[in-house]
Amino acid sequence: MNINYSKIFYSSEKRKIAFVGAMLFLMLFPAWIKGESTDSLAGAGSSRPVTGIYSFEIGRTDVLATYLSPLHYTGAQYGVTGEWSKAMPFNPESAVMHFDGGLNFCSLLNPAHTARMLGFTGDFRWGMSWKTTLPYQLTLTAGGSVGLNGGAYYLMRNSNNPVQAMAQAALSLRGSIARPFTIGRLPILVRDVVSIPTVSAFFAPQYGETYYEIYLGNHSGLAHAGWWGNNFCIDNRLTVALDFGRTAMTLGYHFQAQTQWANHLNTKIFTHSFIIGIVPGGLGLKPKAKKADRPTVYSLF
Amino acid sequence: MKSLKSKDTYIPLLLLLTTFLSACHDSPEYPNNLYGNFDALWEIVDTRYCFLDEKELDWDEIGRTYREKITPETTPTELFFICADMLDELKDGHVNLSSRFTTSYYREWWTDYPQDFSLRTLEENYLEFNWLSTSGIMYKQLPGEIAYMYYPSFSTPVGETSLDYILAILHNSRGLIIDIRDNGGGLLTNIDTFIGRFIDKEINGGYISHKTGPGHNDFSEPYPITYKPAKEGRVKWTGPIILLTNRSCYSAANSFASVMKSLPNVKVVGARTGGGGGLPFTSEIPIGWGVRFSASPIYNEKMECIEFGIDPSQGCEVHSPTEQLAEGKDAILDFAIDQLKDLPLPEKN
Repeated sequence: MNINYSKIFYSSEKRKIAFVGAMLFLMLFPAWIKGESTDSLAGAGSSRPVTGIYSFEIGRTDVLATYLSPLHYTGAQYGVTGEWSKAMPFNPESAVMHFDGGLNFCSLLNPAHTARMLGFTGDFRWGMSWKTTLPYQLTLTAGGSVGLNGGAYYLMRNSNNPVQAMAQAALSLRGSIARPFTIGRLPILVRDVVSIPTVSAFFAPQYGETYYEIYLGNHSGLAHAGWWGNNFCIDNRLTVALDFGRTAMTLGYHFQAQTQWANHLNTKIFTHSFIIGIVPGGLGLKPKAKKADRPTVYSLF
Repeated sequence: MKSLKSKDTYIPLLLLLTTFLSACHDSPEYPNNLYGNFDALWEIVDTRYCFLDEKELDWDEIGRTYREKITPETTPTELFFICADMLDELKDGHVNLSSRFTTSYYREWWTDYPQDFSLRTLEENYLEFNWLSTSGIMYKQLPGEIAYMYYPSFSTPVGETSLDYILAILHNSRGLIIDIRDNGGGLLTNIDTFIGRFIDKEINGGYISHKTGPGHNDFSEPYPITYKPAKEGRVKWTGPIILLTNRSCYSAANSFASVMKSLPNVKVVGARTGGGGGLPFTSEIPIGWGVRFSASPIYNEKMECIEFGIDPSQGCEVHSPTEQLAEGKDAILDFAIDQLKDLPLPEKN
């Protein structure tokens, strides 16, 4: 049976509001939903290791920032990211806390290769998710996060509009799906994590305002309330983790899209990256030689 | 199984949303060919240039006229000069088209006027090849206890301590002459540094506005540009000041003249400045040429546009003819000296 999504999205205004409300509810109170159904693993009796994934990314970025230029700038992008997660003590089987952070640098050229743009960005997100296990060993998480991201794109040829500053605080929906497999005796985990800001506050310069005028104190029209119509972003990370036991290696693909429309200015940033990373301590998929004294709850599956 | 089915349809929906929402606000994109580049340039000016109405320009008609000059045989170099000629219609020294082989520049804002200045004449006949210099400022006390400083470019940052020394060394003078002739502009923040030495309370020195959208009349409410006195302990000048200007004073120098003229102890002597009352932005067209243009208009304290220059104070329009300059006589500087020579020296503290 297929769901008629157009009906969900375009039926009545009330349904839209209910849909957005339900998403916010799921985002903000994931642990509470499952709070009364904890099982025997709950509390201090279980071991809850922090799973940290440290990655290096290399890829390609396409930037359109009409405050700086009407042309697309493209080029190489490099990043380092960290992703930490841990089962929560009050409901270790279902509640997961996670923190994601990343720093990126890109060096881009215009189509004619006559001007260079440099980009420096960073993002940090903290959140909670509710985890459930589906048939076929699928692990699904759904939750939300609060996050900050910011940075600047510097177009070296420009005069009084040299920089597109980026700053955003957002409440995001976050979901993931994971499934363990084995190749021979090697356990692997295929995992996809999606994060989508829903409501946000973001900075955008005025259409023709110089930073000099901002420096003088004219700050009107710079801060904007964001929603999907003027600030749609998505962060999708698809990885395959090879669990060697004491450590694991991740390989994957990272797609980021950030689009903003404010003050008649259009900003679109699309990044496709290859990820390689390590997970010190492993994922917990490989059976331990010695049985642990107490149950261990891992956060990713 | 129900959840799996939901996921199967959720992902395509997400991809659809990404495409749909990110494409909601498309910006015009032009092909990298003769007409595409021309149209891209025309639109940049049409949507972002800030003086189309002040200059009473029919930009549509201008665009049509120059577009007709393009033929399939037009070379990129010829296209550059067609575009440059179109930009010259703006009569704006802040407008340039930059390519790898040259940068276009509208020069008539100063070439059609007398120069009224000779650096050699100044250095030889008034400074006698003997002056002090710091932060890009040449200064000296002229005969008759008249303080003089020449600041040729606002691109050179002026240090607060340097200004302390200059004003302290020149303080025992009847008046101060600040010569900014041939100063083509630079950093607006240098204006704050200077003005702070000449005021004892915060003043409104003008207004700045910016475009809020692509329409010719989409402008923000003018925002006041205020100047604060220099911090306690800095050396100030409260005596009479004469500012020397010529047609080659442009951009930040033009703004400086505008603010100085509003001060009660300042007279502007010389010729009308060249203008340049719009802060420039930069953009580009598909072929990779950069275009600079006025984007953010600046007004004086009476909300008058300063794009067309600042007139000298009443009764102070003076010119220095080229033949007199060649003979070692600078009429503008002489006029200023005459204005100050009989004033009393400041009382000693």
